[in-house]
Amino acid sequence: MIEHKAVLDSCRQLEREGFELTYLEPSDTGVITADAVEKAIRPDTILVSLMHVNNEIGVINDIESIGKVTRENKVLFHVDAAQSTGKVVIDLETMQVDLMSLTAHKTYGPKGIGALFVRRKPRVRIVPQIHGGGHERGMRSGTLPTHQIVGMGEAFRLAHEEMEADNRRILSLRTRLLSGLEDMEEVYVNGALDARVAANLNISFNFVEGESLMMALRDLAVSSGSACTSASLEPSYVLRAIGRNDELAHSSLRITIGRFTTEEEIDYAVGKIREAVGKLRELSPLWDMYKDGVDLDQVQWAAH
Amino acid sequence: MAYSDKVLDHYENPRNVGKFDDSDQSVGTGMVGAPACGDVMRLQIKVSDAGIIEDAKFKTYGCGSAIASSSLLTEWVKGRSLDEAKEIKNADIAEELALPPVKIHCSVLAEDAIKAAIADIKAKREAS
Repeated sequence: MIEHKAVLDSCRQLEREGFELTYLEPSDTGVITADAVEKAIRPDTILVSLMHVNNEIGVINDIESIGKVTRENKVLFHVDAAQSTGKVVIDLETMQVDLMSLTAHKTYGPKGIGALFVRRKPRVRIVPQIHGGGHERGMRSGTLPTHQIVGMGEAFRLAHEEMEADNRRILSLRTRLLSGLEDMEEVYVNGALDARVAANLNISFNFVEGESLMMALRDLAVSSGSACTSASLEPSYVLRAIGRNDELAHSSLRITIGRFTTEEEIDYAVGKIREAVGKLRELSPLWDMYKDGVDLDQVQWAAH
Repeated sequence: MAYSDKVLDHYENPRNVGKFDDSDQSVGTGMVGAPACGDVMRLQIKVSDAGIIEDAKFKTYGCGSAIASSSLLTEWVKGRSLDEAKEIKNADIAEELALPPVKIHCSVLAEDAIKAAIADIKAKREAS
C-alpha cells in the first residue's frame, strides 16, 4: 500500500483489465515482511511487486528473504529499486528477484533513462509495450539514447565505488540532524530508524502544518506529507498507512541528505527548522491548546 | 513552490497574533477548521458596547495562505462595525493576497472564522 504511484496506478489499470490484486499493509515501521508476503500468496498469484526502499520514509524491505518466498511458491517477483541504487547493496546473485526497475536520476545520473532487469535463469518472459523491430529479444523495440545509457552506467559505477563511504558520511550527517531536532517537544520520526537508508529523515512536528513549515524553510529543498502541498489536497497515503493520524501527516517534513551535503548545511538546516517550528507554534492555536492542557481529541471541531 | 510576496509578508511580519480571554464579555471567538484537515483558525474580536471592533487577534494552524488570510482579516476588521465585518467576502481576501485557485479555500475558512466570531459575540450579548 505504500508503493510509489508509478506502481499503484499501474495496479489500478490491471484491475480495470480484470486482474485481482492484493494490497499489503505495512506495520507501523513501514516494512513489509516475508511472512506477510507468504500469507498473502494465493494458488493463482502470478506476480509480487514490492519496493526495495520507500521514497517517503526511506525504509528498506528485506527483498532477499521475500525472494526466497516467491521462488518457493513459483511466483514472479518484481522489485522497484528506484530509491535503492547507491544506497543499499543490490546483489542479484543472492537476491532471487526476477524483475527489477532501476532509474538513473536518483543516483546522480541523467533524467529520462532507466532499466529493467529481466532474469534469464529461470527465464522470465515479458510482453513488449512497444512493437517494432524486435530489439533485445523482442522485449523492447526502438532506438535507445546511448548517451543516456552511458550516463546511467557511469552513475551506477560511481555509486558502487562510493556507496560505503557515502553511507557512512551520510549516516553521521543524519544523526547530527536528528539530534539537533529530537529534543524539541512533540517531535515524531515517521517509520523505523533501523531498517532505513541513511539518507532519509521523515519527521513530524506536532501542531505545525507542513506547507507553512516549507514556506519558512524556502531556501532548503524539503517536502511534506501535508495535504496542502499536494494538488489533490490529500495527506500522504504512506504516512497514513503506517498509522500516523492526519494531523501528524500534515505536520511532516521529509529531509534527504546526499553525497554533496555538508555539515554546515546540516547545522544551518537545524537552526532554521528550530526557528521556524518555534515561530509557527507561536502562531498555532493547537499549540496554545496543547500548552493549556486541552485534549485535542475531545474537541468538537467546526470543519466545513 | 513560489510564494506570493503578500503571503510571505504576513508570515515574516505577523500582525495581531495572540489571544484574548474568551470569557471576557467584549470578546467574540470564532474557531473553524479541524486538525485532520490541516487547517484550524482561531479569530477573536474585541467589540465595544456600540458594536465597533476595537481590536482583533488570530492564531492559525495551516499553510502560508491560511495564515495570511486570517492575518489579513484581523487587519481589515479593526475599526469596523459588526455588520460591516460580516460583509467581508472571501473573494476580496483571495484577490488581495493573489491566492491561486488551489488555495481559495483558505480565504473561505477565514470568512467562516469572522462570521463565527461575530455570531459568538452576538450570542454573548443576547445572553447578558
